[in-house]
Amino acid sequence: MDLALTPEQEMLKAAARRFVAQEYPKEALLQIASPDETTPLEPWGQLAATGWLGILIPLEYGGEGGSFTDAGVLFEELGRGPTPGPHIASAALSALAVLEGGTESQKRHWLPRIASGELRLVPAITESDYGWDEADVRAVATVADVAAVDSDGDGGGGLRVNGVKAYVFDGQSASHFLCAVRSGESNDVALTVIPADAPGVRARGLPGFAWNLSEVRFDNVAVDAGDVLGGGWAAWRRAVEKAIPVLCAFQVGGCQAVYELSVDYSRTRIQFGTPIGRFQRVQDQIISLVNHLDAARWTTYEALWKLDAGRDATASVRLAKAVASEGYYQACNYAHEVHAGVGSMTEYGLTLHTAASRTLYHYLGDPKQHKRELAAALGL
Amino acid sequence: MDFEPRYTPEQQEFRREVNAWLKDNVPAGIVHPADPAGLTWEQYQLRRDLGRKLGARGWLWPTAPVEYGGGGLDVDHAVVIEEEIDSHGLTLPPYYDSGGRLGGNSILVWGSEEQKRAFLPPIFTGQVRTWQLLSEPEAGSDLANVKTTAIRDGDEYVLNGQKIFVGSDHGCDYMWTITVTDPGAKRHENLGWFMVPSHLPGITIQPMDLLISGGESGAGSGVKQTVYFDDVRIPAFNLVGGENQGWKVATTHLELEHGTGGRIGRNWLVDRLFEHCRSTNRRGQPMTQDPDVRDRLVDVYVEAEIVRLLNLRNYWMRHSGANITYEGPQASYVRKTSGLRMAQAMLDILGPAGLTHDPELGAADGHMEAHSRAGIVAIHPGGTTDIQKVIMARRIGIGREVREKAGALS
Repeated sequence: MDLALTPEQEMLKAAARRFVAQEYPKEALLQIASPDETTPLEPWGQLAATGWLGILIPLEYGGEGGSFTDAGVLFEELGRGPTPGPHIASAALSALAVLEGGTESQKRHWLPRIASGELRLVPAITESDYGWDEADVRAVATVADVAAVDSDGDGGGGLRVNGVKAYVFDGQSASHFLCAVRSGESNDVALTVIPADAPGVRARGLPGFAWNLSEVRFDNVAVDAGDVLGGGWAAWRRAVEKAIPVLCAFQVGGCQAVYELSVDYSRTRIQFGTPIGRFQRVQDQIISLVNHLDAARWTTYEALWKLDAGRDATASVRLAKAVASEGYYQACNYAHEVHAGVGSMTEYGLTLHTAASRTLYHYLGDPKQHKRELAAALGL
Repeated sequence: MDFEPRYTPEQQEFRREVNAWLKDNVPAGIVHPADPAGLTWEQYQLRRDLGRKLGARGWLWPTAPVEYGGGGLDVDHAVVIEEEIDSHGLTLPPYYDSGGRLGGNSILVWGSEEQKRAFLPPIFTGQVRTWQLLSEPEAGSDLANVKTTAIRDGDEYVLNGQKIFVGSDHGCDYMWTITVTDPGAKRHENLGWFMVPSHLPGITIQPMDLLISGGESGAGSGVKQTVYFDDVRIPAFNLVGGENQGWKVATTHLELEHGTGGRIGRNWLVDRLFEHCRSTNRRGQPMTQDPDVRDRLVDVYVEAEIVRLLNLRNYWMRHSGANITYEGPQASYVRKTSGLRMAQAMLDILGPAGLTHDPELGAADGHMEAHSRAGIVAIHPGGTTDIQKVIMARRIGIGREVREKAGALS
């Protein structure tokens, strides 16, 4: 047993922390989060230049060939920002989906582009009847006039996609969507790559407290049959299971950031002539926060370890998502109790995390869903 | 990272040795009653016999120094012994004795050479069993507020007062305690720390009537006693650490008690609860088919997993020499509060069948009923949940820089 990071992972952690501090300072994050902004390409380009977007992609496909724990270390640091995507969506979820379901030529075509950041491939799965089950997918793909949609001219034919995807995380910053569609003929669900600028595709950001959620409409969009990912829904589910602990690590980083903010604030905020952290009422909030943080951290890293060690990780993954989603949500609440008025001021930066914690609570399934799946995984 | 213990070939060889020895020496007929009050004198003697045999091999307190009767082993070997004895459903030592880990460490740090030679070998070889006498009616979380006095009279001290929440069942050989030695001195400078032979005249031991009582396996589950001292005369030799130095001596074992601890292992209570719900029908189907039951079973599982992982982390920190700050009291706090939440989940799942150990109607042979009481009693030993939070806050440095480090642990 050794719960320490390797020296290489410690280096990665330090480098990623420096990167986030340099490229995504609070001012930049606030600017990006303001409603009029779309995600600027400059920090994304810097992130792509590090090579980290290929952390889960094997060397032979232009990635770094890292372990799941390596990815966890990286995404924990990205979560400290919280840095905007589409890193989880593209470099974790979509990359894993292509690895799990893609044909050899699809892997060779897409994975190096995901690793380089050129392709920002964002899954578009959920719809207005929100849910992550196969049965929740209603967008329809119908076999189309071959000549009309065989855009690469290989005679492979094509499809027409119609439907509305809702609550698409990082949809605004996608260059391409990985869209779940139901075959009009067989009723099977498949995932297909669709350029965000293809005719008939329209994405709009959802206003309010949602963190980088979009609605994406597909109106009679032509798709080449070669862009339909192999493996169907089963491959997508395998990818989700592996991506979840990476997402959890991002949530752990968020918990860690709001914990440190709260401890620092307890030392510097003077009321009644003393730092407020001297008050046990205030201490209680921070202790509840760190208990959520550590529960999220260790359930997450155990799940990452199980994936790396080739163990059956199903129950651990469900546990981690249930605990980390609850943890990030509650950590932000406790941080707000410590900061009170100051925490609600946008310029302070805590609300960046609060917004992220709410959206990620649901992303890839909320605690209730994962606890139900955990019951099944435990053989109940 | 690696969440699984790994062992060297040398450790595996040692494990075979320990395992073979335990097979020959763990007495037949050791039982584990649901309510620890059911543990008889004969059962206690079986555990003490095993303790003396372990002590003779240096395996009772494996890491204690050889020169004082301990095993002198390193942690890698101690872990193997702990795991093997755990697989027999027993602890190390196999009965309640806080003298080896807590009081014994204070004597090692603060005792004179003569005192170490007199007091430690009997403890580390299992010849004697000791109880700690700390709490009093006026001194719970505020231990320094003890009122029991030990006043010097020639070569002796004369003890008077009352200690509560003491020990376990079936008596002890030594009591280690903290008392006022100078009633006129300032707080923390007025105390003395003593090893008291338990057979001395003037000592009266009375069982407390508690929500749960009995047991020999840990500080949290024992029968607790009230101990009265009426003009008990003890030799001045038994004062450890010097006149009015008792708080300093106590700090050593208090640090250990608030320390990291940590353990590897599952919560058998969760396994029993799952098994009960799988094998028990309600309205014609297994309880596990009821969606409400399933939801609450998962709640219990999640609580238990978090406690397991915090204990595992602490275990690793203790054995790897990692820098430990708030993690010890955190694991204690989470374990204690989750025990209460688990009890409510059991109540939701089982209904009143979780509140009785009636042989016909009680769930899971009374183990659930026992937890519903034990979870409440477990809040206070080794520091209340509030005290755990106070210590965490200090060690995190909330409101100030970190001033207090956790105690050194072996």
